[in-house]
Amino acid sequence: MSDETGPVAEPPVDGDDVVLRLVDVQAGYGKAALVLRGFSVEVRRGEIVCLVGPNGAGKSTVLKVASGLLAVRSGSVWLNGEDATGAKPQDLLRRGLSHVLQGHSVFREMTVEENVMLGGYTVADRTALLDRVEFVKGVFPVVAERWSTTAGLLSGGQQKQVEFARALMVRPDVVLLDEPSMGLDPKRTAGMFEQVARLREAGVAVLLVEQNARRALEMSDIGCVLDLGRVFVRGPAQELLADPQLSDLYLGGRPAAS
Amino acid sequence: MVSGALLFQSLILGLLLGGLYALLAAGLTLYFGIMRVVMLAHAAFILLSAYVAWWFSSTTGLDPMISLVATIPLFFGIGYVMHRFLLARLRPTTMTMMSVLLTFGIALVIEGLLGLAWTGTQRRIHLPYGTSSVEFLGAQIPVVQIVSFALAALSLASLYLIMKRTQFGRSLRATIQHGQAAQLVGIDTTKVAGMGFGLGLATAAVGGAALSLQATIYPSLHWHWIGPLMAIIVVGGLGSIPGAAIAALALGTIRVLLEIPMGSTWAQTVFYVALFLTLMLRPQGFFGGRLAQRF
Ligand SMILES: Nc1ncnc2c1ncn2[C@@H]1O[C@H](COP(=O)(O)OP(=O)(O)OP(=O)(O)O)[C@@H](O)[C@H]1O
Ligand SMILES: [Mg+2]
Repeated sequence: MSDETGPVAEPPVDGDDVVLRLVDVQAGYGKAALVLRGFSVEVRRGEIVCLVGPNGAGKSTVLKVASGLLAVRSGSVWLNGEDATGAKPQDLLRRGLSHVLQGHSVFREMTVEENVMLGGYTVADRTALLDRVEFVKGVFPVVAERWSTTAGLLSGGQQKQVEFARALMVRPDVVLLDEPSMGLDPKRTAGMFEQVARLREAGVAVLLVEQNARRALEMSDIGCVLDLGRVFVRGPAQELLADPQLSDLYLGGRPAAS
Repeated sequence: MVSGALLFQSLILGLLLGGLYALLAAGLTLYFGIMRVVMLAHAAFILLSAYVAWWFSSTTGLDPMISLVATIPLFFGIGYVMHRFLLARLRPTTMTMMSVLLTFGIALVIEGLLGLAWTGTQRRIHLPYGTSSVEFLGAQIPVVQIVSFALAALSLASLYLIMKRTQFGRSLRATIQHGQAAQLVGIDTTKVAGMGFGLGLATAAVGGAALSLQATIYPSLHWHWIGPLMAIIVVGGLGSIPGAAIAALALGTIRVLLEIPMGSTWAQTVFYVALFLTLMLRPQGFFGGRLAQRF
């Protein structure tokens, strides 16, 4: 779109199917030291990229930069082949990106209905909106069952499902999920991972942050270990899982012998 | 011995006054909900609107309520601009404290301008129905109090409908409840918060006009109002409009009832007593709750 963002910007090559790309991003909060110090990642259509790393490594910060909640100090953000550096979250949402925050972010004092409908805030077409409501109700039964309940009264896991439903009200090209399994029971966690896999089949790109790193990597295409504000190692998820050193450092030890 | 009729009359007058307080406090609690701003200039804006209503009716001879056609949109605009160019620039971490200083300054400026424009003389609107009253089950109710109450009730009902039924209201509530999530569903939270401020200040416009019907006004009067209004929003739970309305009705009624044995000056202390009791027993307020806990 614009090319005034500086020399580091390197537009994606024509015809490649990268949906989201961060290039050499530096970012931080206020006057504090930088959190990201030259971080790059790319997510392709129908691909799950899993970001792992210790607490405070900057995983959530990566997602905030990608969705425009946090501005970059330097580096660039590309969405669907267009420069999106410095774009506002509203703008990025319209261009196909949706972000589910870490922790709880339902509008607590609104009903499930109001929450979900606000997910479609930028969707002008009423019939498309109602179609979408049917879709999310099908995917997350709790949304249909508790449609008129105040969202803050739902259990943590139920709230999380309302948040997913809200994020899927637009038809995103790329979804950023920040620790989606937090607070979900094993059955819902499995269901959630299943949903993520389905998003991939539908051609959506997913950038996933998970505490449940081993489990998440098992279903991901690409794994990316973040430490000290940079990519520590990146590669096909299966290879990362197989690496004994990484296992010890970042994935909570080796899997139980199976 | 207090007669039953007097008690009944005071009860009615108390409820009418409480209704007016509810409107005056609604804006104050809305600002706090939107961005943890303590808006000390709210009562000064109420007074400004009362002055405009007085000035309008004394120069044109028309009903002071007609001035609302101009003051409501004007105050909305001022609120929006004030948020956008002053309050939104404060750092979030020190927002509450700095907003006290900033809005204290704004209140002083308004007070100064009022003195400059209309001197320190006490002013009062003279209305054809200014001294008439209607009889209701043996109680004498001044017409002006009924008019103010009706205006307050109408405005609060509109505020409620705006918050609950319009897309703007939903996006404002979303912004209040979770700013980042609101941004992520595509809401322009800065703009919406600015409009929320405008809405709060528009209630000050209506409240001022309603008050001008029954109050004698002078430039420093707003300092007498801001204290009780602050007490009301704390008792009601900071940020909660329904909480503020219930607290206003309750405290307004108690205040008028206490006037019978104590006189008006001591009756006024009910606000501060309620404030202290709330802070001691239930600091999050009696009807709001969550917002104050986050504070
Ligand atoms: N709003 C904020 N203001 C200031 N500093 C922040 C803010 N959010 C995060 N940080 C800091 O940025 C660093 C990275 O935080 P981030 O939330 O990105 O970590 P994370 O990898 O997501 O950790 P976790 O696994 O605990 O979620 C931390 O040192 C944190 O203290
Ligand atoms: Mg995080």
